[in-house]
Amino acid sequence: MKSLAFIVTVITGVLLIYATADFPDWGDPSSPASLHVSPRYIEKTVEETGVPNMVTSVLADYRGYDTLFETTVIFTAGITAVMLIRRPRK
Amino acid sequence: METIEFIIGKYNYWVYIILMMIGFYAMIGKRNLVKKLMGMNIFQWAIILYYVSIASKKGGATIPIIQNGHGEVTHAIEAAQYLNPLPHVLMLTAIVVGVSTTGVALALIIMIYRRFHTLEEDEIIDMLRATKK
Repeated sequence: MKSLAFIVTVITGVLLIYATADFPDWGDPSSPASLHVSPRYIEKTVEETGVPNMVTSVLADYRGYDTLFETTVIFTAGITAVMLIRRPRK
Repeated sequence: METIEFIIGKYNYWVYIILMMIGFYAMIGKRNLVKKLMGMNIFQWAIILYYVSIASKKGGATIPIIQNGHGEVTHAIEAAQYLNPLPHVLMLTAIVVGVSTTGVALALIIMIYRRFHTLEEDEIIDMLRATKK
């Protein structure tokens, strides 16, 4: 069973490493991730939000609702943990 | 020369893939539930590191904070000057979800230990089969 798991792991890893040949180089300034969506956020963030830190402005302004309901996720997880652990013992 | 450039350009992805496969093997190959959970966390962190590495830009780009950005900003802001902020933000969200899942999983593991007095998966399955018959 363990050898089967090891073989599956090695096959998956080799497939993933084979796929990296098509990836852009590390830190390439003309990679698709840094050309398409992010320049708009970098250039407009001070004009639209007035926050110099782009991570903060995206987190709390552009994606404000996402961050707001992120607290719901933590709350649900905390309630679940409390309900699981504090069940009365028989 | 071309092989060296190829390795320098891609080795960060290989490090993350190796880390991810360590986590994957721990998830499917180990029998202890805590070790499985640790494998899941290593897997998550490999993906998070991969996304953060996507954000990097060579050629003089700095951290994603606008220089002299308080007050009136009159100077031009070029996208090539700053790192890509979006992967950092999305991974902040992913870290929060990861912490929540880890907490719930640890609570479940505590309950499993209280009921079966073991964390080995095969022993738990044997006990469940014995109670069924």
